[in-house]
Amino acid sequence: MLTARNLSFAYDDGKTVFNNVDLDIDLGGITVLIGPSGTGKTTLLRCLALLDQPRSGEIAVDEQRFAFPIPAGGHAPAPWPRLTAVFQQLFLWPHLTLRENILLPVRLNGLEDGHEELDKLIEAFDMGAFIERYPNEASLGQRQRVALARALMLKPHYLLLDEITSALDVEQIAKILGYLKTLRGQNIGIFLITHLLGFARHAADQVLFMDGGVIAESGTPDILKNPQTERLFQFLSVIAAAS
Amino acid sequence: MSVLDILITYHIAFLQGLSVTLQLCAVIWSVGLVGGIAMGVLGAHRRRSWGLTIQGTSFAFSAIPTLVILFWLHYPAQAMFDVVIDPFYTAALTLSLVNLFGVGEIVRQAVADFPRQYIVAGRVCGMRTRDIVRHIQLPILFRQLLPSLMILQVGMLHASLFASLISVEELFRVAQRINSLIYRPIEIYTALALFFLAVCLPINILAAWLKKRYTRDYSER
Repeated sequence: MLTARNLSFAYDDGKTVFNNVDLDIDLGGITVLIGPSGTGKTTLLRCLALLDQPRSGEIAVDEQRFAFPIPAGGHAPAPWPRLTAVFQQLFLWPHLTLRENILLPVRLNGLEDGHEELDKLIEAFDMGAFIERYPNEASLGQRQRVALARALMLKPHYLLLDEITSALDVEQIAKILGYLKTLRGQNIGIFLITHLLGFARHAADQVLFMDGGVIAESGTPDILKNPQTERLFQFLSVIAAAS
Repeated sequence: MSVLDILITYHIAFLQGLSVTLQLCAVIWSVGLVGGIAMGVLGAHRRRSWGLTIQGTSFAFSAIPTLVILFWLHYPAQAMFDVVIDPFYTAALTLSLVNLFGVGEIVRQAVADFPRQYIVAGRVCGMRTRDIVRHIQLPILFRQLLPSLMILQVGMLHASLFASLISVEELFRVAQRINSLIYRPIEIYTALALFFLAVCLPINILAAWLKKRYTRDYSER
């Protein structure tokens, strides 16, 4: 299980981003984080990915614990790629083709060749037409699929995803999210930041609503039907009105 | 006397001058590229100590004309320390320093401004630091640095002409000597231009080949 306890983050200027966040991400489960923009969702994901240092709290990845502030003597190495992330900006390497972007980390991590598995992903994500292109020759939606494929090829236990469907069309969103649901069977714990409430309703095991730097409400997807807090009710109303 | 006649008549003198020019450039280029790259990387990682020193010194070298530094190191500095140094070494030292800090600053800026997101992507993909450096940073930096470093090295070749002013018997000095004998400035400097074209041509071909082989346009399409 990937857990966070009393996690707080503040910028160097002292501005607090989030406070006392507790969460559990189970293997084989899908946790969806929703909330208004600028409320600290991406920063929380970066902290869970052990890329940013929280001001205080603890993150545990299975048996491995990371306390903050970092104790004297430091931490054990972060368990990448067992814990991996796909960011909104994707971060594909511009000098490599999309295929090379996927296969380079596979090779360097000493994983098996991966070509066969990549072929399956190419088919599942409709990437055949552009896999030999460079990132700047592909659309944002195509790059989003490649970035997700790169993470999946590393056989992670925990996959943290930040708005990875923002540039996809409806058909592609359905394919990708459908694929994510199948990852349950592979025992991968998924943490997904998204505005797609439909996916949260139908596929999530747990929904977290973040607002004002705290987890304002959490529970099963039922909270999206019967919100317990006024703030979540307002948020859902705004989204419903917009759509 | 035509350009061809001059080249034939004085080919030994020209070749000796070319040899000195190439020796000078070999020192300037190797010291500048090897030392400058090392200094630039160090400066990017130790911004407060090395970084500021390289930035400041590079600014000083780019602001003060190379000729002034060359004269200063050749005449007053040697008089001040009561030493006599062969002009070749003085020119090599001066131009190497200019190249060293020029390369250092170009590399420092490129390394310091390297997009961190590419490193982050490597880390979450479980790549070790040395793999990230080798497979991500170096190839991207190489592509980015190649054109500016090539231009700087051609500029240093041209700057080697200043060595003639402190009596280094390089190509330009040889041309001046021949001109003082036969007074045919147009033909002689045309012959000199041919020599520089001959030296620059392989550099340009190498640059074009490297560019074609290793660089590509990263801009969005």
